[in-house]
Amino acid sequence: MAYKPSLRRKSDELEMELDIRPVMNLMVVLIPLLIASAEWVRLGSIEINVPPSKDAGIGSDESQAQAEEREKEKRLGLSIAITDLGITIASPGAILSGAENPEGPTVPISADGEYDYKLMKEKLIEIKKAIQGKGFRDENRALITASADIAYQVIIRVMDELQIYETDEAILPLFPEVNFSKII
Amino acid sequence: MAFQPSKSKKNLSKESGTLNMNSMMDMMTIILLFLLKSFSTEGALVTPSEQLRLPESIQGEKPKKELSVSIAKEVIMVNDIVVATKADIKEDNLMIEPLRQRLAEYARKEVELQNTVGKEFTHIVNIQGDEQIHFDVLFKVMFTCSKSDFYKMRLLTIKSGA
Repeated sequence: MAYKPSLRRKSDELEMELDIRPVMNLMVVLIPLLIASAEWVRLGSIEINVPPSKDAGIGSDESQAQAEEREKEKRLGLSIAITDLGITIASPGAILSGAENPEGPTVPISADGEYDYKLMKEKLIEIKKAIQGKGFRDENRALITASADIAYQVIIRVMDELQIYETDEAILPLFPEVNFSKII
Repeated sequence: MAFQPSKSKKNLSKESGTLNMNSMMDMMTIILLFLLKSFSTEGALVTPSEQLRLPESIQGEKPKKELSVSIAKEVIMVNDIVVATKADIKEDNLMIEPLRQRLAEYARKEVELQNTVGKEFTHIVNIQGDEQIHFDVLFKVMFTCSKSDFYKMRLLTIKSGA
């Protein structure tokens, strides 16, 4: 037979609070530490894939037949030239002339010395719409060239504008594959 | 005459109370979790300075830590070690010779690593350029990189809110 519980135990249940001070101490230390090491500046990276150079050895042994095949493919060869007068859009066949001055750049620099990125984008969207679905192999590719003293920020800005365009239905790629070349 | 202190109040027991920290703990836990989640163990990719301010851009993915070539206003650095100055950039030569030598060294090490321990040579290089550097400098650096087996280039930028 089990013992009967003692009737003498009448003390109240011990009321105890969890001691959270050590945890608080830990948090007070950890939070400033993590805030200090947090990344406040969001970095981005833009990918540019230049084909490996000829004497690097990889991909250089293209056979004659392949080269001929490449010749036959339809190529757009869109290039965007940035000078201190403005931005010129061109392809091997033609140069898109400016609205006011046929000799000058496609998108002349504005009166306060700024590039008119908006107009450039409009022109590019026009081109993109005209060539879409015509089977150009490099329909997403654009070649950026600039005169020597163009600032890096301007080039990045132009590349930003080249990325996408919005229609009523969707956001589509404009000319996201960018290559560089140099005016010689 | 000053009032006599109240005799009844003198014997009032002091009110005892404890601070309720539950809600504060909740908050702290949430902040802690959030910060831990955004904590990056890769270390800082760039050291911003007056000489090297990255351009702003709206595009781009999150960069990874790779070999970095920094083009500051006056010098060119590879992994934060100065390798070339402005004087090394020749007007008529696309190649920047000191940079090419250093990059070739790195490429050789990478190839060695690939052969011995199987770490893949990615050919990726992060280019950090100051927003004011000129196109010809950028182009020459890119040319040199592509000639030195680092042909997958990433241009680092600061993402602006737009």
